[in-house]
Parts: sequence; C-alpha cells; structure tokens
Amino acid sequence: MKLEAAETLRSFSAMWEDPYVAVAARAAERGERPIGYLCSYAPEEILHAAGFTPVRIIGAERTITRADSHLQTYCCSLARTTLDLALARELDFLEGAVFVQTCDTMQRLSDIWRLNTRFRFHGDVVLPARMGEPAAERYIVAELRAFRKRIEEYVGAEVPDSAIAGSIAVYNHNRDLCERLYSLSGIALTGTEVLSAVMAGMWMRKEEHSAMLERLLAGLSGETRPPSGSRVPLVVSGSLCGSPDFVRMVEELGAIVVDDDLCCGHRAIEGRAPETGDPVEGLARRLSERPACPAKHSAARSRPDDLAVRVKGSGARGVIFYLQHFCDPHAFDYPSLRQRLSEDGIPTLLVEWEHQAPCTGQMRTRVEAFLEMVRGT
Amino acid sequence: MSEEHGQRREIRSAVAYQKLMGRYYAGAKSAGKDGRKVAWITSGGPVELLHCFDVIPVYPENHGAMCGATRMSVPLCEVAEERGFSRDLCSYARGDIGSAITKGGPIGGLPRPDMLICCTNICGTVLKWYEELSRLFGCPLFILDTPFVRGTSSEHAIAYVEEQMREYVAFLETHTGKRFDEALFEEVAAKSIRSISLWREILACSEHRPAPMNCFDAFIHMAPVVTLRGTDEINVYYEQLLAEMRERVQAGISAVPEERHRLLWDNIPIWYEMSALSGLLASLGACLVADTYTSAWTFEQVDVADPMRTFALAYTEIFLNVNLERMVDKAVALAERYSAGGMIMHSNRSCKPYSLGQYDNAKAFTRRTGLPVLILEADHTDSRQYGRAQAEERIRAFVETLV
Repeated sequence: MKLEAAETLRSFSAMWEDPYVAVAARAAERGERPIGYLCSYAPEEILHAAGFTPVRIIGAERTITRADSHLQTYCCSLARTTLDLALARELDFLEGAVFVQTCDTMQRLSDIWRLNTRFRFHGDVVLPARMGEPAAERYIVAELRAFRKRIEEYVGAEVPDSAIAGSIAVYNHNRDLCERLYSLSGIALTGTEVLSAVMAGMWMRKEEHSAMLERLLAGLSGETRPPSGSRVPLVVSGSLCGSPDFVRMVEELGAIVVDDDLCCGHRAIEGRAPETGDPVEGLARRLSERPACPAKHSAARSRPDDLAVRVKGSGARGVIFYLQHFCDPHAFDYPSLRQRLSEDGIPTLLVEWEHQAPCTGQMRTRVEAFLEMVRGT
Repeated sequence: MSEEHGQRREIRSAVAYQKLMGRYYAGAKSAGKDGRKVAWITSGGPVELLHCFDVIPVYPENHGAMCGATRMSVPLCEVAEERGFSRDLCSYARGDIGSAITKGGPIGGLPRPDMLICCTNICGTVLKWYEELSRLFGCPLFILDTPFVRGTSSEHAIAYVEEQMREYVAFLETHTGKRFDEALFEEVAAKSIRSISLWREILACSEHRPAPMNCFDAFIHMAPVVTLRGTDEINVYYEQLLAEMRERVQAGISAVPEERHRLLWDNIPIWYEMSALSGLLASLGACLVADTYTSAWTFEQVDVADPMRTFALAYTEIFLNVNLERMVDKAVALAERYSAGGMIMHSNRSCKPYSLGQYDNAKAFTRRTGLPVLILEADHTDSRQYGRAQAEERIRAFVETLV
C-alpha cells in the first residue's frame, strides 16, 4: 500500500479512537460550528446547509461520575457516557445537539440533556416509528420543515432550498465513496480500515472527508492484498462500535470483516435523497425508505431478510452480533435475526458490550472459539 | 373484610369487580367458539374502535400484571430468555412471549389473537414486542404511531395520528368484514368518556382526608377502565364503586386505619409485592393517596362532537408520551390536590419511558413542593430484580422522616 494511503487510514483510525479532540481543534482553529447528534436519522443535510458541521456523538470509554445522578444504570452506556461527557463540559466545543427520539432512552435523554446542560442550541426532531408509508413520510416532511424553521430562527438567516440541495449532493457523493470503500473490503482493505474510514466522516465536513476518500481510493486502485486465505469472512451487526478495538481484535484473531450491519457503518450510508425536486421532501424520502433501524417499523422491509441478503452478498460465513447492553430495539431483534441466519446455515455469536468494557479478555476467548467453530463448518 | 391494624380495608365492590373481570376473561377465552374475533392491544391503545367492530380486546400488559401479582412471571420470562430475549428487556414483554409459547400463567394464557393493535404512546418496547407477537402468531399488526410531545402537540403530529385512526378503521373493516358504523362509534366514544370520568371521580374521592381507598385498590380497580372502557357493564360497575367510595367519605372510613401520612406513587406497581408493600405502608400509617399511573386513563380534553380528533389528541398526549416538565407538573398537581406529604418513585428496570428522568423529576418535584421523594429500584414483574429487605428498610426510614 502506498505511503499516503496508509497514512490516511491511520489518521481515520486515530479519529475513531478519539473523535472529539479533532472536532474541538477544528472548531477552535477554523471556526467550524459543530452540532452533535446521536443517531443516523438526524437530518444532517439541513444542519450542513445552515453552515454547521454535524458530528456524531458516540459516548466514550470513561468512568461515569456525573451522569449517574441523572440516569439509572439500566440504560445504555451510549446515553450514560455521552451525558457524562456533556456534564463534565468535555463537549463544550459543540454549539448544541439534535435528538431524533430514536428510542425510549434517547427520548428521555433529550430532556435530561436540555435541563442540565447549557449549550446554545437544542434541537428535537420527532421522527415517526412507522417508516416507508405515505402518511409517515408526509409527517416527516412537516417535521423537517419545522426543524429547518427552528434552525433559521437560530442562525437568523434563511436556509434556502438551493443550499439544502447542495448539501444533499455533498452527502450523496460522500455515501457513494463510502460504498466504494465497502466494495474493497477484504480485497484491498480490512474491515477495520473500511469502518474507520467511513466513521471518520462523522467527525468532519463531508467535503473534506470526500476529498480524502477520493485520494485514498485513487491510491488503492488496482491494489489487492495477498489472498485472505484462511481468514474467516464475517459480518458484524449491531448499533455502534465505540472504538476500533473490537473489530480490530476480531480481525487480529483471524477473521476479515467483509461487511457490517451497524448504525455507525454501512446502515448509516444507505439510501440516497433525490437530488431534484423539493429538497426537504427528498430528505424525508431517504429517511422513510432506507433500511429501517430496529427502533423503527417498516411494513415493506424485513430486517432478518435484509441481513440475510447482506451476509450472502458479502460471502460472510458467520455473523457477530455486537450489541450494547440495555439497547432494547437491538435486543428485541436479535432472536429473529439469529433464527433467520440459522435457516441459511450461518453461525452467529452474541457479544454484549458497554463503553466501560468495550473489549475484554472473555470476549477474546469467545471470538476465538467462534472462529474455530466457523472454520470447522 | 379486615380492619385489623396493618391491614388495608377491603372494598365491597371487589366482588362485582371479580365477576366483571371473570366474565370478561371467560368471554375472551371462548371468543373462537362464539365466532368473535380477539385483538391483543397495548394499554395505551384506542380500544373504543374494537368495541364498535365487536372485537374482544385483550391486554397482554394486564395479563402481565396478573402473572406478576400471582408470582408466576419469572418462569414465563425464562422461556423467552431461553429463546434469546435478553433479561434486560421489559418483563411484561418477556413474560407475555413466554406465556404465548407455553400457555402458562394464572388463566392458562391469553386467547390466540386474530389481530394485534399496538400504540406507541407508552413506549418503543411495545413496537418490538408486537412485531414479535406478529411473527409468533402470523396475524396482522396495526401500529398507531403517536409522535412524542414536548409542550403541546404539533398540528402535523395530530394530523398524522388522525390519518392513522382512519387507517385503523379501514384495518378493522378488512379484518372483521364489517362496515364502520359512525353512529355506533359516537355512542361507544360517549360511553368511554363516561367510563373515564367515572374513574376520575373515583380517584378524586381520595382527595378526602382520610382517603377512602389507596393506590393498591386503584391498581386493581383500574383494570376495567383499561380493558372495558366504552361498554355499559364497566359504567354500571364504576357507578357502584363510586357510590361505595362516597359512602366511605361520608362515614369517614379510611383505606388505611389511622392514616397519618399521605403519599404519592410514581410508576407501574411492583405487582409481586402488592400485598407486602400494602401491609407495610398500612402498618406505618401511610396511605398512597394518588399515583401517576392509574390516573393515566383520565383524559382531560374531550370533544364529543369530533371523537376521531379527540382520541387522536388524547392518545398522543398521554402521560408517558410527554416531556419531563409536563410529568413533573402532573406530580405537583397531584400533590396539591391530594394533600400529599411525599412521593415514592418506583424506578422500574422494565420501563425506560417511565423511569429515565425520574432522578431529575424527583429533584424538580422537591424544589417545587418542598416534599421528600424516595426512589426504589425494582421491576414491575421480574421479582429477581427486587431486594425486599433493603426496600422495606428504606421505606420505614423514609416514612419516619415525614412530619
């Protein structure tokens, strides 16, 4: 691999290790205006069009000191550590945050956050639970218009359709580039590298990220790694990976993560908003039609079938469910996903994690045993 | 009937309650034989339309409470856990899935559903739970999606819910083969509003000192307003219960002998501990005079002229679907109306929408009322999550500090 490509990949991985430092530095040095969000359904294009840099908040590996007096221990570590960061004023580089009411925890976290922090901006976008249906889509359009108005009032200027259309084009192009990275997974790139590169885009202006990806892809053109040989092709499914540690460990143990079903990974970049017509309606269309997150209900799509197709398409021989403790929507889906995969003869492993213990020795042993088992099938 | 020290006084109408609920469950169990359809519905769901289509509503949450109160939940939860459902998921959902598979529980499981009606106003859990039921039973699922409300509902949110109410009608027409009868709907809606106001009047009797009934009574006698509102039989029964409570108020009969402390309760009951907690509080002279839970079935805004919109708004703005400040407003209002001297909050591992935010709500409640709050961590039906000795010690200590 060329030196420049290797360096770019290293910088992506470093950003995943510690995303907030880079965001804070750019805010201080270049005057970027970061606004945080916690869910891939956040209407990033509207924020981007208004001049903000939407950045994803993914919690942090830390000992919780402040959040425990606001949140019970039986909610996910994403909510707990994110609130703890905010209360410790470690997210002060953010101008504010947007909550899209993904699940029961996020719904309540939005209020707790608003009541206990002093960010200049607080946004709520109440998305529907039903997706892929006309009534819900009309509601999303109205909710996004209300959000846009809220942003316009906050910045004191109009956010014209042309600006939103421009941002849609920027985001769609970026998703196309990320998709190209996925096509190189297991060929020119490891799963850790692909996921690092995709996730790094959550913490920078998409234009800048796209420029880096273009150079990276050009540098990789024609490159293939030695055949993966006995490496076991896997898909990782879940919500988010708080750090590269887990995927890296899985690959160090002899697997190659050829695709993922993560809300911070492949699922986040799926769907394209139409680039013609009313841009807000276009954004609503994408949110409504993209493969539904487990907290949503789609009458038209089946998560088990979507995952089975993804696994088959990637050539994976096994799936690891990497699920956050206390994440109800994912935990509810797990038995039916496992069942569907077993019908296809795909073995699965469930690994539950939290930010306080993202990668433990016990996990290592279980992954090792799983890979051994998959090799034997 | 017992009036010994440390016992709560039994309500005479409990006999009528047993008969009413017995008839209801017997009817639901023999629905198939009688050629009637059964719908499973969430506790916050619009049941009125089911009555219009002669569909028998069955409530897995009410059944969950029964399983909890009879201490039969844990083995049912374990069945779901063996199937891969995490022990951290809501125990109503786990127990219900377990019961659907094994037919276990105090009444041999619920009758098989012909359809499922899920309203998201109480939590995101019901969405996932009902998706699973739909897979288990292979029957149609209708979702009424009620966007979360901060402050007041947006016009587009109400329009979205109203549109779904019309879809709900169409869904019921399809699956029952019956035509929607608007006149009948207005009649059922009027009866439902009557059920709700009777229930509100019953609860309001406890504003009187001493309170004629307490929350442990309300937790039981709420079942009809959840399951049968909109029918004549519930209204007959609630009129009887209301008369009995008014009689008690007149005669100065208290639910708890020697009522010295009046407290609020927040969250779903700890069903398996009902009798132990009731006995303990009674022995301490403490009466739970009102709670945020049973009063959730008392809609405030009612416009009989436009029932579809009325219900769209009412179902969207129920207690669990609003922001934390509105939840505190309600607790403060209850404390004032019922002259409460403190609040016990059940931090319920099985119910995130009810429990997350309680720490902030407790502080805001104390700031606004000057009243103390005790937070107890438990689970509404999974008794493995409850430490009785520690909880009781904390309740004793809390009551001792009350003036």
